Amino acid sequence: MLVFFIVTACVTILSGILGMVFMPDVRFGYEAFLSPPIFGFLSALSGVATKSRKELSVGQMLFREFLQLLLIEVMVFGVNYVFGTTFEWELSVTLAIGIAIIFVVVYAVLWLNDQRSAMAFNAKLVEFQKNQEV
Amino acid sequence: MKVTIRKILNRENEQVIIECTEITPEVKDIRAYALSKGTTLTGIVKESKLERFELQDVYYFEALDEKVFAYTKDKVYEIKGRLYEIEEAYTAYHFVRCSKSVVINLMLLGSISPALNGRFFAHMKNGEKLIISRQYAPVIKSIVMGDGKDEK
Repeated sequence: MLVFFIVTACVTILSGILGMVFMPDVRFGYEAFLSPPIFGFLSALSGVATKSRKELSVGQMLFREFLQLLLIEVMVFGVNYVFGTTFEWELSVTLAIGIAIIFVVVYAVLWLNDQRSAMAFNAKLVEFQKNQEV
Repeated sequence: MKVTIRKILNRENEQVIIECTEITPEVKDIRAYALSKGTTLTGIVKESKLERFELQDVYYFEALDEKVFAYTKDKVYEIKGRLYEIEEAYTAYHFVRCSKSVVINLMLLGSISPALNGRFFAHMKNGEKLIISRQYAPVIKSIVMGDGKDEK
């Protein structure tokens, strides 16, 4: 759920920036508001790339996450292509880099959240261990 | 409180009986202490040699190829039983599942740190690093932090 909201927010910001730079004269209808949550939802779904029955090592997980990034890139360009939107190469490269940045931002936010959670846990762990010892 | 110690012949029959009118926090403490001490396991070390070791010295149990191993500071013992049986038997001794194949001793857990994708590293006090999977992390957090105190 957190992934969905972070991606939706980031896609909104990225769309705004890219639109202002590359297509300042283009105007959209209300349907444009649906684009960020749709990409947010699809990005959250792409998390299946990191699922596994076996416990993955850190290296394997990094590889899976790289695959997930590729999947998202293909998905974004694929959806645009299906709806008849094609981009010039400058915009394509910028968009691809933007998607990668969003991907990193999402994982950075999740990592920071886990870090906060781990610090709270570690503080309680010391207390827990003391309480269990006589 | 009156304390009586009576010597018996069989180690297997060793037990602590607490007779009390009410189960107070102090009684619970005594129970927890008794439970955490003196639990001896038997395992196979190198060259099929049987050895006894204390449960409290076990950092974690790991299931590998249908076998279960107990890891202490210096030795690895192959023990009888399935991992889920060990998990059930030693829950009261602060052993908890951290992934599909590992049960860790929370009393010998040094700290945790984030790994990728909602998983955590368990840094054991002997320096070993294990993975706490996404599935089991909330359970471990609720045991240590108490239910409803997980900030995630």
